[in-house]
Amino acid sequence: MIAAISWRNVWRTKLRSLVIIMAIAIGLTGGVLSVGVFNGLAEQKMRTAIDTQTAHIQIHKKGFTDDYDIHYFLENPDKIVAAIEKDKRIKSFSTRTISELMIRTANGSAGVQLLGINPEAEKSISTIWESVVDGAYFEGIKRNPILISQKTAEKLKVKVKSKIILSMLDGDGNAVDAGFRVVGIFKTSSSMFDEATAFVRQGDLQRLTLMKGVNHEITIKVTDLEEVSPVIASLKSNLPDDLQIESWKEVQPELAYISDMTGQMNFLFLGIILFALAFGILNTMLMAIFERIKEIGVLMAVGMNKFKIFMMIVFETIFLALIGGFIGIVISAILMLWLGNQGINLSVVGEGLAAYGVGQILYPQLSGAFYFQLILMVFFTAIFSSIYPAFKALKLKPVEAIHG
Amino acid sequence: MSIIQLKNISKIYNPDTIPVYALDKVNLEIQEGEFTAIVGPSGSGKTTLLNMLGGLDLPSEGKILINNTDLQSLSSKQLIDFRLYNIGFVFQDYSLLPVLTAKENVEFIMQLQNRSKAEYEKRAIELLDEVGLGERIHNRPSKLSGGQQQRVAVARALATKPKFILADEPTANLDSKSTNDLLDIMKKMNKESNITFIFATHDQRVIDKARRVITIDDGAIIKDEINTSVA
Ligand SMILES: Nc1ncnc2c1ncn2[C@@H]1O[C@H](COP(=O)(O)OP(=O)(O)OP(=O)(O)O)[C@@H](O)[C@H]1O
Ligand SMILES: [Mg+2]
Repeated sequence: MIAAISWRNVWRTKLRSLVIIMAIAIGLTGGVLSVGVFNGLAEQKMRTAIDTQTAHIQIHKKGFTDDYDIHYFLENPDKIVAAIEKDKRIKSFSTRTISELMIRTANGSAGVQLLGINPEAEKSISTIWESVVDGAYFEGIKRNPILISQKTAEKLKVKVKSKIILSMLDGDGNAVDAGFRVVGIFKTSSSMFDEATAFVRQGDLQRLTLMKGVNHEITIKVTDLEEVSPVIASLKSNLPDDLQIESWKEVQPELAYISDMTGQMNFLFLGIILFALAFGILNTMLMAIFERIKEIGVLMAVGMNKFKIFMMIVFETIFLALIGGFIGIVISAILMLWLGNQGINLSVVGEGLAAYGVGQILYPQLSGAFYFQLILMVFFTAIFSSIYPAFKALKLKPVEAIHG
Repeated sequence: MSIIQLKNISKIYNPDTIPVYALDKVNLEIQEGEFTAIVGPSGSGKTTLLNMLGGLDLPSEGKILINNTDLQSLSSKQLIDFRLYNIGFVFQDYSLLPVLTAKENVEFIMQLQNRSKAEYEKRAIELLDEVGLGERIHNRPSKLSGGQQQRVAVARALATKPKFILADEPTANLDSKSTNDLLDIMKKMNKESNITFIFATHDQRVIDKARRVITIDDGAIIKDEINTSVA
């Protein structure tokens, strides 16, 4: 009956209760949507980075990624490929030869990391072929084609079919200059990646650096993000120790960091909103108790003990908060579903976000686990804001309350 | 048998600032089955005395024994339970819970005593029948007249099977008809079930029905007489 009394007490001052309920609902909706946007940004950045840059897993010889010394190559690529092909959880893979070098034109120079790729196999592990905005993806130029980014093209003032010079060191440490022709110009959503990367055919790079058959990197995509860790574990146990087998998180720690940070910031953000709402709830409950001093005094007089009076107030507070929380969560879940499908067009701020590695359209998103945690947070807010009013009620003395 | 004994009770409000001597060395015994009115002018200490009898407030000096339990020896938690099981209260302005129906108001107090559902449902209906509200058990207080609400309050006070019932100005807000109905009901319970009633009142209609009339003034009992003309 105590819970029933609390429930009915909520509706005694309908307008006042509705005001605080709506405040909770609106506050939560705003909070959830913002969190969804932040989360979507982080997720999209992560997905884009995986699709265009890191894939899921990368294998190098230990030491290669320290300063990309071309002598740290994979010694037994066939054996590694055999191990990869056996694993059903691996969807696709591709080998790369890598060299850090200068691109020069009459108008200037740019340092890039040149990825020697197999154009066909590369399609299965990266979306770079879809990011070509001018020219074509390794089509139309027979001899020494190179794919450069729009950023680099603008910097060097070159167009498709322009000739450029690559200056590099070969495997024997001799300086080599080679002429390449721009086959295509790409643009991903990460300007940082674009500035630092260019693609050529693996065979061309191997030939020019006198490193026939040399691979520096094997890049892997698995069937499901969840499989990354187990696949790495089984590759590590099957392959020699001098290999560095890393997940996308290890390849780009800042990606993992962003997604962790986003998670923490989101809870901090919601925590602040809920903390503010808690004071609204607290105020509403204090008003309610102030109006019912006499009633509570009577209850104490006739023998309702302090614990039950305490619980009566706590329940009422929890009901208020949970009704508001429920409405807020339902509204935001519906909005999130809609926005998650529709996306938010960010073209107004598109340039800034491109540097951050997110496309023009943002898809806010949240996990089911998030909603669960949110419900818990609302619940704790309710309990938090009920304690002071409930103690306030206990302080009442039956005689004075009845007199008052 | 004496169910209440007050020994040299004094009550001083605000002892540290402007002391008010609301009760001054009051001695009083109440027997089971009494129908007693405490009367006196406004501010004479009636409510204060009733609060002492009901364990709602403790005296500054003296001793209160109810059923041989010394109220001062109880912790505040024990005192609440003691009230729940031993004392019924009826207040001037009805004091029902507005969100509960008549029946729920009566049931609620029995739930506080942890009685079984079957028991409290049956007893609530019986008691509301007895106070003449068998038809109105599902009405909330706002749908009942003052007199009807006060009868629900009497049913609630009786529900816990207390040793006695304290009523502070129960008729102050009632018209003559309601007052008479209420008094008849209480009188009948007193006669048939030997339930003890103690009133604090100005109301002559109540005083006329009381078998014992205790008059206080300035916190002291100045008269204590049996009204032989009342049955
Ligand atoms: N909580 C309190 N603090 C200070 N003084 C009080 C308090 N309660 C009562 N008094 C004083 O004690 C005296 C007795 O008050 P009490 O309420 O017992 O009188 P009463 O006989 O019930 O009066 P009434 O007929 O108006 O109800 C009065 O002088 C009153 O002002
Ligand atoms: Mg009084």
